[in-house]
Amino acid sequence: MKSTLHDIVNTAVSSKLTCQQKLFNLANIAERLVDPEEVLGYSEKETEYIEKGMICDLNEGYAIYRPRYIVPDYMSFLKHGCKFLDIRPPEDLDELLDNLLIFYHHVPSITSFPVFIGPLDLMIDPFINDEKYDYIKIKRFLNHIDKTITDSFCHADIGPKATNAGKMILKAIVELENPTPNMTLRYDPDLTDPDFAQKAAAACLKVSKPSFSNEKMYRKEMGEHEIVSCYNALPSAGGAYTLPRLRLGTIAQGTSSLDELLNQRIPDVSETMLSMMDKRIKFLVEKSNFFESSFLVSEGFIKRENFTAMFGIVGLAEAVNHILYKEKKDEHFGMSSYGDDIAHKIMRKIQSIVNNHKGIYVERTNNRYLLHGQVGANLSHEDYSNTPAHRVPVGDEPSLPKHIKQAGQFHKYFESGTGDLFAFDQTYTDKPEAILDIINGAMDTGYRYITTYLENTDLIRVTGYLIKKSEAQKVADGKVVLRDTAIMGEGTNQNAKVFKRKIRR
Amino acid sequence: MQKYSKEKSDADCKAIVNKIIPFSNVDGPGNRLVVFFQGCNARCIYCHNPETMGYCQRCFKCIEVCPQKALSCLNGKVEHNESLCISCDACIRVCPHHASPRTKIMGVDELYEEIKAYSPYIRGVTVSGGEPLLNYNFVIKLFKKIKRESGLSCFVDTNGFFDKREMDKLIEITDKFMLDIKSVDKVRELCGIESKDSIDNLKYLLKQDKVFEVRTVIVDEMDAEATVSKVAFLLKDYQDVNYKLIRVHTTGLNESRKERIKHKIPNNEKMEQIRALALEKGAKKVECIL
Repeated sequence: MKSTLHDIVNTAVSSKLTCQQKLFNLANIAERLVDPEEVLGYSEKETEYIEKGMICDLNEGYAIYRPRYIVPDYMSFLKHGCKFLDIRPPEDLDELLDNLLIFYHHVPSITSFPVFIGPLDLMIDPFINDEKYDYIKIKRFLNHIDKTITDSFCHADIGPKATNAGKMILKAIVELENPTPNMTLRYDPDLTDPDFAQKAAAACLKVSKPSFSNEKMYRKEMGEHEIVSCYNALPSAGGAYTLPRLRLGTIAQGTSSLDELLNQRIPDVSETMLSMMDKRIKFLVEKSNFFESSFLVSEGFIKRENFTAMFGIVGLAEAVNHILYKEKKDEHFGMSSYGDDIAHKIMRKIQSIVNNHKGIYVERTNNRYLLHGQVGANLSHEDYSNTPAHRVPVGDEPSLPKHIKQAGQFHKYFESGTGDLFAFDQTYTDKPEAILDIINGAMDTGYRYITTYLENTDLIRVTGYLIKKSEAQKVADGKVVLRDTAIMGEGTNQNAKVFKRKIRR
Repeated sequence: MQKYSKEKSDADCKAIVNKIIPFSNVDGPGNRLVVFFQGCNARCIYCHNPETMGYCQRCFKCIEVCPQKALSCLNGKVEHNESLCISCDACIRVCPHHASPRTKIMGVDELYEEIKAYSPYIRGVTVSGGEPLLNYNFVIKLFKKIKRESGLSCFVDTNGFFDKREMDKLIEITDKFMLDIKSVDKVRELCGIESKDSIDNLKYLLKQDKVFEVRTVIVDEMDAEATVSKVAFLLKDYQDVNYKLIRVHTTGLNESRKERIKHKIPNNEKMEQIRALALEKGAKKVECIL
């Protein structure tokens, strides 16, 4: 959405932002001050749909200067060093960790911080010599990341195989209890040692990470990929240009039937968003000079050919509930098999529209944009009525077993990622094997990504990223907090009541 | 004293199910689906789910007290409307027969369909209750079906008061048992029955490597030390078997039962002494549940 001059002064005088947050916000405001119709060639309709709230561009900006998500090839950095930064390949653990911290500083994204900091265990393991002292260094490294990359969309991967480094990382994240980095175990029951997987499941209960991604499924569909940002799966040595989203709840308002929603409203708004995406990508590739000037490209850490783009949705639940209401059914999405049928119809329709659209500069994903189940964000009052991705609104969830079955059936649509998270009570703390049974079942039934957490922890995953509840409460009380994601988490909390998720019994 | 069900054909074989918990981590290893059968041959004073003990005698007292009108009389039986039920437990509290109107009569196939729906997420099935072995023929048929059609393990959670001569087929098909050993000398006082079979049954099942876990509820002024010593001694040759020592509590008890228990709750020091005794007598994996 376009910004105003007023936004500039409001940001400058805010008592709730750190200087760095102000800097970033001012830059973002500047990007959105320009007229997208002038700079990007948006049509009036495209601008109108953003202003009406049916399409949300997540304030990505119109003077585009870098891709939304950048996924560098860190193994190449380890092997070759970096000329631009005058870094040679590391020879010991100290050099490795130091080099990485320097490199991270130069990996941009939509948040200005890196959304992917590498397959940490794979990078670190060859440099382990003395476990006792190396553990201290690894823990210090992880804490450094948390205090300098102040945005928990920053994501690290481990697995699928167990390593000493992986075990040390799991131990460290439990001791640190930091929101950043976000972390995923790329889980494959055929490759991941069950004991390691259980350790990861136990850690996830305590500190809400690592989550588990379906390594087999993503590898089959995308080939070489990494898990980045919230839970996105994106091509290695590449990334994603842009991610706008449809607010399906908003889109459904005013329709009087499923037929109207499927055959008129959805095609209209989807085509509009696709056209918008084409324009954004065109500008980024042809005009922004990012790919011409970035050392990340010239030294081969990323390649333009490995980029894709993401077509996001939120509010599937609200769209379904709207139709159920129109059809006078006393049922709600989450506990209605008829509601599930409606949801599938909506998703199949969107999928067909998106797959039939010839995307530009996305050769890596068969010239198509990829569907994405997007997490909520507090950018407009419309976000109060658009539950993240395909999820069941907080408070409407059925019991855990039914919920797990219900949610998993929609993961298949979202090739660039979606995820679900479930709260467990304290009885599971000593029973990681029970959690792993559930995770194995989830993977077998088509889950792409699953997180578990304890209801009583301070640290939880809020619709795809991590914050401390105590920090979020400070935002609510009007205090300045360290992390951007804490601010976002509080907003999401007010919208989606995410701190009141159902305990599973 | 309840009699065991006679052999029935598959189609006729039905059982009264009190509840199904699709995901449990406390009823055997891993994540398991647990079936709680109605009916028990014991009347333990500390039972925390006494509404599983008896069978409906059709006195209809529960119908009058349901605030949601979820209960009604149909064909001389109590009918429970699940969609109206808010699980307030008013019906259970008023029942004079330790029963519940929220039970369901199920056949083997029907119960298996429920299990199948959750099978990707569970490691196995545990039957409990009440006392599941009152329905041993049903359980045999159910386990046979589970093993034929899936790789799920089949566990039995039992009070140990059964005649092992009648249980050959069941023991054979069951993967593991979780067994209560309530007492060696005070069975009548604690459980309201005469049976002393449970220690013999434990020995028998141990020899067949069919015991996953033994539990004893620790109550002051009973024979906790004697019972724990006996069990721990038997377990010294079976070091993989878990022995859980569970402190008695009053949650879920009605007022008269609470009165009988509340002064017999062992303190932490006592529990630690009992645990030390179990280890001394030879058990290895001893856990106190406080």
